[in-house]
Amino acid sequence: MEVQHRLRLLSRIIGMKGPIICRAIVTVTQRSGQSYTVGRHLPPTWRGGASAGWCRSFSDVSARTCTALVYRKHGDPPEVVQSENMELPLMGEKSVLVKMLAAPINPSDINMVQGTYAILPDLPAVGGNEGVGQVLEVGSQVTSLKPGDWVIPRDAGLGTWRTTAVFNEVSLAEVPRDIPLLAAATLGVNPCTAYRMLSDFEALKPGDSVIQNAANSGVGQAVIQIAAARGIHTINVVRDRPGVQQLSDRLLAMGASHVIKEETLRQPEMKDFFKKCPRPKLALNAVGGKSATELLRHLQGGGTMVTYGGMAKQPVTVPVSSLIFKDVKVRGFWVTQWKRDHAHDERALSEMLAQLAALIREGKLTAPACSEVGLQDFRGALDRAMQPYMSAKQILVM
Amino acid sequence: MRALRRVRQTWGSVWCRAWEGNEHQRTAQRAEGTRNLHICSALVYRQNGAHADVLRLERMALPPVDKHCVRLKILAAPVNPADINMLQGTYPIRPTFPAVGGNEGVGEVIEVGSDVTSLSPGDWAIPVGAGFGTWRTEAVCDASDIIKVPKDISLLGAATIGVNPCTAYRMLHDFQPLRPGDTVIQNGANSAVGQAVIQIAAALGVKTICIIRDRYDIELEWNCCRRAALFCHEILETESILLLAQEVPRPKLGLNCVGGPYKKLNKASQSIPKQKALIFKNIHLRGFWLTMWKRDNRKDPAKLQAMVASLCSLLQSGRLSLPRCVQVPFGDYRHALDMTQCAHQRKHVLLM
Repeated sequence: MEVQHRLRLLSRIIGMKGPIICRAIVTVTQRSGQSYTVGRHLPPTWRGGASAGWCRSFSDVSARTCTALVYRKHGDPPEVVQSENMELPLMGEKSVLVKMLAAPINPSDINMVQGTYAILPDLPAVGGNEGVGQVLEVGSQVTSLKPGDWVIPRDAGLGTWRTTAVFNEVSLAEVPRDIPLLAAATLGVNPCTAYRMLSDFEALKPGDSVIQNAANSGVGQAVIQIAAARGIHTINVVRDRPGVQQLSDRLLAMGASHVIKEETLRQPEMKDFFKKCPRPKLALNAVGGKSATELLRHLQGGGTMVTYGGMAKQPVTVPVSSLIFKDVKVRGFWVTQWKRDHAHDERALSEMLAQLAALIREGKLTAPACSEVGLQDFRGALDRAMQPYMSAKQILVM
Repeated sequence: MRALRRVRQTWGSVWCRAWEGNEHQRTAQRAEGTRNLHICSALVYRQNGAHADVLRLERMALPPVDKHCVRLKILAAPVNPADINMLQGTYPIRPTFPAVGGNEGVGEVIEVGSDVTSLSPGDWAIPVGAGFGTWRTEAVCDASDIIKVPKDISLLGAATIGVNPCTAYRMLHDFQPLRPGDTVIQNGANSAVGQAVIQIAAALGVKTICIIRDRYDIELEWNCCRRAALFCHEILETESILLLAQEVPRPKLGLNCVGGPYKKLNKASQSIPKQKALIFKNIHLRGFWLTMWKRDNRKDPAKLQAMVASLCSLLQSGRLSLPRCVQVPFGDYRHALDMTQCAHQRKHVLLM
């Protein structure tokens, strides 16, 4: 009560409006580290203030700053990404305060820092487009989430490589808490890409085949497992390397029907291979170049090749005869575009996440091999994420 | 004595082969003396190869006209690149030998079988599918193998409507919904399909951006198309692109035949510059083969009829004019086939 009286006096003296004084107090207390509870004591007319939002409680000031991996210019990630202490914005009515738990480093995250991705956030920006966090606090108008819920971003560009964040409710999707943390952290991009590619391009029935390159990737492993759960055979193409046999065994144990090396795909013996395995209706390409052309060659007439990545940084070469006489379709897929196109239909994403979570609970879908790295060791993680033949996904844990 | 026998045997076998080779001609000659069997002249090949080596003008007996069959007098048949590929054995369609060349043309109905109701003597008709064998003076076929066309379009128009204008039509209708004001971009615009695209698109209110190789490719007859088309040199300079972007909306549909002609095989490839176009711009890359479309829609003749009717209507109203052709008497077929294999040549049409 006394606080309220003093603030009214102050505003009359200096001629400033209540909410402005509140903001000033907040800033001062944040900077000084003092704990000061203001909100509860102010009259309703001083609460709100559309532009700044309104804080429920300042009792835990340390939640209002965070550590984030920030880049102020595009370039080589280990060089341009820096760990910084950042002030969090004030909570609005629709805001959600999220404590990040884990966030992977995906190739698209690297591309975004390098400045080569299709969408680029304004700089300075926080890196990372995927991850799982726990809700700490929600704004007064938030209806779909409550403290304790696990959430993942609905769209790219949010910046997940950080300890805490304030996001808008509409930017987040809830995921169940009874799935492993690393599965939740890696659910929103790769498994969703695999799910959509297996569902949206060709009507696949049990017994049908799909062929894919980069089978060892995050998407590739998700494709193997989701396809296996649907009774669909997968022909998985990987690059030769030391330890390729162990890699092949691992993919077969996960549900892959066949694992073959890139070189084998180009041999005439493939004709015999397709005598015992039906020709694929669907080809999934993340490499480009010769690898993609080989996938196309083995596709059934009228089938579709979907490109979702370009790891070899070479164009996709499509023989004219494949297009004209085999009527193959060449398409691309970008999960971010799918999410944006379906942003108006919340259930579309929720249903997909629910189905993927169900597969995870049944043990039919597991996260790829991960290497957990503390946020402070981010530089090494970025470096390793950019190495070829990296078999473990780097996950930053906060 | 033995040597003589060997010589006689050798000569005998040669003589036997010659006898077989002329068998069809003797059949033809016998048939001429028989009622109800008709003879035609046809360009026949019995193996794949260069046309000069394998294609022969021969007399052939026609089968009798069954109750569901029709006898046609072929009036005109063009020589298309796909026809040459078929002779060479490089086309996906391999007819059984001996085969008659030519996939497109127009004929006049002479005789109809007792069960045929869709056609009458005097009607003009074009083949429905590929592999008909149109380089001949007469043919007997199933009534369902041909489709009627109006007689008030030009002969050359009727002879060349079945492949290229139909390809243009389908590509403009089946891949992207196009509305008046939309734009289409194409290369190889000087081809028969390219010219048909410009005109059919114009009739739909759609503008075409045409990429051309050589400026002298543009013929005067295109003046009527100029309002409907913008021509750009193959090497699109930045200024041209910027100007284009101001004049017309971004094209929704791109038609490509540069990886060779529309039906070129094997070696020619079309590279997509970057995966980015596929992934981030959601570009769909498709092929089109009219023959496959006709096969897939064989059970639904109404679709083909509607398309042909629509094209004939454009021809009749003058909104579609087919490229100027060179008319070649049937006997001069070798010249026509030679010219078809040269660049920058007009379409050669055999007149029977």
